[in-house]
Amino acid sequence: MNTAQLSHTYTSSPSKYVTFTLRQESYGLPVLHVREIIRICPITPVPNMPPHVRGVINLRGTVIAVLDLRAKFSMAPVPAGERACIVVLQLGAPSTRPNLIGIIVDAVEEVVQLGNSEIEPCPDFGGSTSSQYILGVATVRGGVKTLLDIEKIFAEEGTISWQLLERLPPAQEAHRS
Amino acid sequence: MNPSAPQLTGSIRATEILNQLAEELAFVVPEQDTGLLPVNRFIMDLEEIAAQESPMEVSSGLQIARKWLDHILDGTGKFTTEAIHHLNEWHAWMSQVLTSWDKKAPMPAWPEKWSKTTSPSAPQPKSKTSVTTLPTEDEKSIILNLKDDAELLREFHGESLELLQNIEQGLIVLENNPSDTGTINSIFRAFHTFKGGAGFLHLGAMQDLAHDLESLLDAARRTELKITSGVIDLILSGADALTNFTREIGFQIQGTGAGQPIIVPTRNLIQRLKATLRGETPMEHPSPSPARTAQPMKHAAIIIEEMAMEVMPSLKSITPPSKQASSLPSPTATPTNPTENSGGFVKLDTWKLDTLVDLVGELVIAQSMVVQNPEVQSLTSRKLARSLRQLSRTTAELQRNAMSLRMVPIRAAFQKMSRLVRDLAAKQQKEVQLILEGEDTDLDRNIVEKLSDPLVHMIRNSVDHGLETAADRLVSGKPTLGTVRLTASHQRGGICIRIQDDGRGLNPERILAKARERGLIGPDEKRTESEIFDMIFMPGFSTAEKVTDVSGRGVGMDVVRRNIENLRGKIEIHSVLGQGTTFTIILPLTLAIIDGLMVGIGDERYIIPTLSVRESFRPRPGMVTTIQERGEVVSVRGHQTPVLRMGPYLGRPMRAKKPEEGILVVVESGEACRALLVDELIGKQEVVIKSLGQTFQNQHLLAGAAVLGDGSVGLIFDVDTLVKFSDKGSLATSRPSSVPV
Repeated sequence: MNTAQLSHTYTSSPSKYVTFTLRQESYGLPVLHVREIIRICPITPVPNMPPHVRGVINLRGTVIAVLDLRAKFSMAPVPAGERACIVVLQLGAPSTRPNLIGIIVDAVEEVVQLGNSEIEPCPDFGGSTSSQYILGVATVRGGVKTLLDIEKIFAEEGTISWQLLERLPPAQEAHRS
Repeated sequence: MNPSAPQLTGSIRATEILNQLAEELAFVVPEQDTGLLPVNRFIMDLEEIAAQESPMEVSSGLQIARKWLDHILDGTGKFTTEAIHHLNEWHAWMSQVLTSWDKKAPMPAWPEKWSKTTSPSAPQPKSKTSVTTLPTEDEKSIILNLKDDAELLREFHGESLELLQNIEQGLIVLENNPSDTGTINSIFRAFHTFKGGAGFLHLGAMQDLAHDLESLLDAARRTELKITSGVIDLILSGADALTNFTREIGFQIQGTGAGQPIIVPTRNLIQRLKATLRGETPMEHPSPSPARTAQPMKHAAIIIEEMAMEVMPSLKSITPPSKQASSLPSPTATPTNPTENSGGFVKLDTWKLDTLVDLVGELVIAQSMVVQNPEVQSLTSRKLARSLRQLSRTTAELQRNAMSLRMVPIRAAFQKMSRLVRDLAAKQQKEVQLILEGEDTDLDRNIVEKLSDPLVHMIRNSVDHGLETAADRLVSGKPTLGTVRLTASHQRGGICIRIQDDGRGLNPERILAKARERGLIGPDEKRTESEIFDMIFMPGFSTAEKVTDVSGRGVGMDVVRRNIENLRGKIEIHSVLGQGTTFTIILPLTLAIIDGLMVGIGDERYIIPTLSVRESFRPRPGMVTTIQERGEVVSVRGHQTPVLRMGPYLGRPMRAKKPEEGILVVVESGEACRALLVDELIGKQEVVIKSLGQTFQNQHLLAGAAVLGDGSVGLIFDVDTLVKFSDKGSLATSRPSSVPV
């Protein structure tokens, strides 16, 4: 995936962002990366995956992975609410076969246009882990929107590694019979 | 043919060597160098004997073989189909000569055709000149075998145009960046592919040219040759000569001037290529290149024009070149014409095709949801009903069409076999007829492509080892004409391919003896007949020694089985001693659809490919036992099979706490088996395999996912991983816990 090139494209000029909420916080993603937004649907869990990998869904015949951004950001899990959605993002260059990935969000708000001048760099929280995913923050009508760098968030999802042996519980049943 | 006099006279020794040579020849494959060195060595040995004492026929016969071999050694270093054919004919003749020599009988007649040049790879037998006769020969022509090879030629034509286009594009890249190894490699490969195709179809002139071009690029690849614009020009001229050939083939396929020899001047080109290879600069040759570096592409165009002029007298159908070289925009403009009428094929990315198939599948689901919607059904409008029926029909038709896009008839793979059998039969001096049936059976294009190699192996086996010689057949009361029957048919929701010969059949005792000898089984172990036949698929079965007298030599049979299994297929053997052997290959129709066994583990459903499932049963209490308190095993038909509890393995809850509360599904991968403990069997279902995408590319537990009837996703296990999964991990974690107890 061409991380550098894409983030460059989306930081240089005024562009539109889709904003959504996770708990009380508001986040934004570049609209060009958003393929579509669908209602939450039954997700098939994939075993032995990190907790933020919720599983896979059928998006009109294509199987795509669904991630839980809350878990990714180490937020407490809550059951999906009424307005919960899956935002389907398209990673990678559009000319190749698109790599689609879904993220679960609590609610989708709106699409806002933000110029470069409106985006401030992320304030330093002093070594906060998730600030590495943050492109910047913007104030929209008094509310703070955290703009996410999706290429960075999902750079590692492209190659979720399989850690079978570490996760395999000991064969405790074997002792009984 | 196999005289056995006690004293080691020259004839006996020669006969022995010739027999060894024959064994080597049996394993020679066109376009490969396997066996080239041994064959060469044996010929050298024969030459040594002949030098001491031999009739004239032996030494002059050897001279011929020497020339052919030198030609191969100096040239591609690989056998051509033609060369193999010649060598086999030569071998047959030479063994007669040796027999006559031994018995002091009159020598067999000198074969007519060796007295004159019959083919590019068979130089004049009597002349002592070296094999580099190419420059002195007249321009070689090629004659197409439009009757037998039409299909192959069409394929070759389409492929060649594409290759040539790639070559030209690559050369343009090289102009700007002469040291781009990736591009050099891709051009090299393109010429190599081209050469292979031309060789297969006996298009000698094209093959020679492609070979020299390939050598040139090989030298560049190994940085022995520097890519200069002169070299690029040379390659371009070569590519254009090939284009001219290809174009003419295109015309002939369409019936224009069919059967006429195709002549494109290549002699000068080949000379220049060889000169360049020897390290002489191509500039020494009279090539019109006034503005060398300024406009290399245009300058290439001039050469093309010159070439086209040369070609003109013999190729009437080529469009006359422009009088002014500068008006030719670029060489890529020349081959556009034939692309338009090359049979109407479109090449497209498979993912586009997959997307189309996916969307059509979803359309069908959406359509049935609309039609079955209660509100829609309550409407009584006849017009609506008619429209809905129309919609159903159209979507069904669309789905059928979309599914068939990936399907091609198996014919292409089969037709290659008829050529193979023809060549093999000639080489073995057997009378063989190949009967093809069901060539129109459609199956997934990917399968057809990957089926070719296993089929070649098995057909070779059938002809080489299955069928007896005519004399032996007469003795066993069979017609001298041996039959190999290759059939394809739809069966059990898949494709069944059968390779059937009426030869001597497999001899179970000899196979068993061989297996014991190799230590594959213990000396006292008993096996059923089908288990014995299965042994020929074992890796290492009779590879060390060439057991040409036992049918099923085992060389590559393990590879054959692996190839078939990779296609999610199965291979079975049925053989009756003295009556013949039948190999049955069962393949899925397409790689995109599999038969799945759906199992429940906890609340989740998973799919196990049915082809890998041997059986499933509910174990009785006590059937599952532990070994050293570590691994659990269950006895399945006398074999202790390790048990894998799927719940703990997947890190998911499962209902069955004891084996008898669940179901054991015995799966196999290759030779290994494993019993998977699941909660329940849900049912069998045909599912469309979908990729899990980049996100999950690094895991091996799942082979893919499937969209189930209700639109949800089911995960498909990769049985190979489950079977091969080593218990070491669980042993390592379970040991510490068992120590304190």
